Amino acid sequence: MIVPVRPTAPALVLLPALALLPVLIVVLNGAHGGGAEILGSFVVGAVSPSMDPALLKALLIGLQVTVATALTGWSCSLVLGVLLGCLSSERLWLTWSLPAWPAIVLRRLMALPRSIHELIWGLLLLQVLGLHPWVAVMAILLPYSCLIARVWRDQLQSLDPSRLQAILQTGSSPMAACMTALSPAMGSVLVSYGGYRLECALRSATLLGVFGLGGLGMDLELSLKSLQFHELWSGLWLLTLVTIALEQGLRCWRSWGEQAQFGQRQAMGFAVAVGLSGGLGGLWLAHLFPEAGSLNWLPVQWPDLHSLQLAAQELPWLSMLWETLILTVLAAGIAIGLPPLLLLLNPARPWQHCISGFWILVRVIPPPLAVLLLLLSNQPTLAIGALALGLHNSGVMGRLLQEGLEQQDHSAQVALTSSGASPQVGWLYGSLSPRSPSHLAYGAYRSDVILRETVVVGLIGGSGLGWQLLESLSSFHWAAVLLLITTYAALTLIGEWLSDRSRQHWLQS
Amino acid sequence: MTALLELDEVRVAGPYGDRLNAVTFRLQNGERIALLGRSGAGKSSLIGVLNGSLTPAAGHARFQGMAIASLSRRQRARIGTLWQDLRLIEELSIGQNVNAGALGRRRLPWALANLLFRVDAEASRSCLREAGLEESLLADTGLDRSVGQLSGGQRQRVALARLFRQQPDLMLADEPLASLDPAIAAEVLERLLTSEADGKLRGGAQAVVVSLHRPELIDRFDRVLGLRAGRLVIDAPASAVSVDDLRDLYAP
Repeated sequence: MIVPVRPTAPALVLLPALALLPVLIVVLNGAHGGGAEILGSFVVGAVSPSMDPALLKALLIGLQVTVATALTGWSCSLVLGVLLGCLSSERLWLTWSLPAWPAIVLRRLMALPRSIHELIWGLLLLQVLGLHPWVAVMAILLPYSCLIARVWRDQLQSLDPSRLQAILQTGSSPMAACMTALSPAMGSVLVSYGGYRLECALRSATLLGVFGLGGLGMDLELSLKSLQFHELWSGLWLLTLVTIALEQGLRCWRSWGEQAQFGQRQAMGFAVAVGLSGGLGGLWLAHLFPEAGSLNWLPVQWPDLHSLQLAAQELPWLSMLWETLILTVLAAGIAIGLPPLLLLLNPARPWQHCISGFWILVRVIPPPLAVLLLLLSNQPTLAIGALALGLHNSGVMGRLLQEGLEQQDHSAQVALTSSGASPQVGWLYGSLSPRSPSHLAYGAYRSDVILRETVVVGLIGGSGLGWQLLESLSSFHWAAVLLLITTYAALTLIGEWLSDRSRQHWLQS
Repeated sequence: MTALLELDEVRVAGPYGDRLNAVTFRLQNGERIALLGRSGAGKSSLIGVLNGSLTPAAGHARFQGMAIASLSRRQRARIGTLWQDLRLIEELSIGQNVNAGALGRRRLPWALANLLFRVDAEASRSCLREAGLEESLLADTGLDRSVGQLSGGQRQRVALARLFRQQPDLMLADEPLASLDPAIAAEVLERLLTSEADGKLRGGAQAVVVSLHRPELIDRFDRVLGLRAGRLVIDAPASAVSVDDLRDLYAP
């Protein structure tokens, strides 16, 4: 008799890939005849990108805007995030012999800006401030600083308090004690998490461009909508090069710091780089947009209670929430399950290098562009959004999985293959098993990110909260906008809570 | 008659000189061999050559007449190893770890099924019983327990059961008694060396090579191989190895 047991780690990592089945069935059923030809042109464009000098010049200007926006948004959010993180840490308030309630209040206040995706911030700021290069910077700054503050605060709280107490007992001032006891550990957090946030900022700046806030994203969107795939690929390859350079640069920085074991100096260097890049990014933007002028607040008519009640009755709550949740589950399943599934197909080195290239490409293509591309050959369905979002996030998860696998001990895999297990089975049991808990823990975090990002594909794909939000924003229906953003924020905060619990479970296991 | 195992002038290079140098010996069916030597003498390297995880820089290593480096997956499954660090898979249950011993004879679907269902529970149980795991862990709920919850001695027995589940012709054990208390060590050695009624060892093996740090146990073996700085300096029946031979072998 076959008795099911509680699925163990490697199976739990692979099972989410089952989400691909319904998604692919719907996508393949919805494909129309002309779609294959369009997708073929897209693939051909990859190997023959346009090298027109005028186009390349325009793309390089777009790329400068995107990079300058990302750098400025990132550095400002890192500085503000670290400051807010310190202020929201109860431990630091208590170290100064002050009551901890302001830290708790601040933490609660930061939940709202954090829960709203940078794209929503971008679209809202666009409505109230008009088109201005700093709108995209602020759209990144607002959620990122609160996200960084949360991570910074959590790290501060998780440090062993005995070191701080020991130094305080020597009569040291609270500031000197914090610098001495906490900064060594926090320096490595600053470098590793700060570096990760820079990659995110580059992706966000590109995404904001897709929705009209300037930069390379806008060029990519125009090329795609006019079916100029050769031009589209020129931009995508440029973005790929920048992404690879950034990832390699950050990887070298981390490994350099680990080998040299001078975390303090490395962190100081990083802090100086952050400050410099903020200043340079700002000057760069000013140079690119010399006539931008100052930011002006445009008049917005805030909704009254009656219009809120009316909007609440009009909105299709059930279908909207259902679509958002299903989109999240399917995309998270693809993002978590696809990387190990692809690696399991062939764990040999050459195949793994091909897969690494695939991760870079799916990471570089913003999900709304992928949705637009799929819509050229398919009917608009929820599955399209799930596939685009899942593939994009599988690029992030796949890279981390591969990096983790490269660093881990392979003795169990060697033991299994030397006892005759096939390379696939040896990899599944010997390498994937030990890596599974951390992959699932990161998958829990990524699911939370995906829930936030559903709004991005919803805007394009005609599903979930995102679609309703776009409709409401386009018609200046502020009551509906307010309700939708509140609902979205509540949903992402619940998702964040669930993701935290799930992540802790996997990290402890 | 073809020897079960045959090494001819095997050399393994290491970062600070040869780990094995011109090692030559033959192993026949039914033999129980103790592999002795100081730390760093090359015992683990020799075990690595025998199970194919290390490829010699020179010389030939053959199993049943075939070069070990070119053995197929199925043929490789006929050589089983009890690793010094056990190499159990912490995330899997006791039963799944024992079944991992059978992966050389099975295909990917079976490997996936083993992660989702209780597969071949009776076979796992039987191997665990032969390895001496206590009865309370042999019930279904016991088999489903994670190996991370087991003591050092229990983990050793699960690794031993995995070796038995593999049903190899040749069993290799790399320092299996290290970090075990004397009573458990004696029992583990007993289970590795005891012959069944048909003359075969447990799990159906025809021969066993055990690397040891405890020369006082050599009377339990048929033959002794002694390594010193990568060279084979003793190859003699256990009864013929003198105290002076062992003193020389372990001399600084």
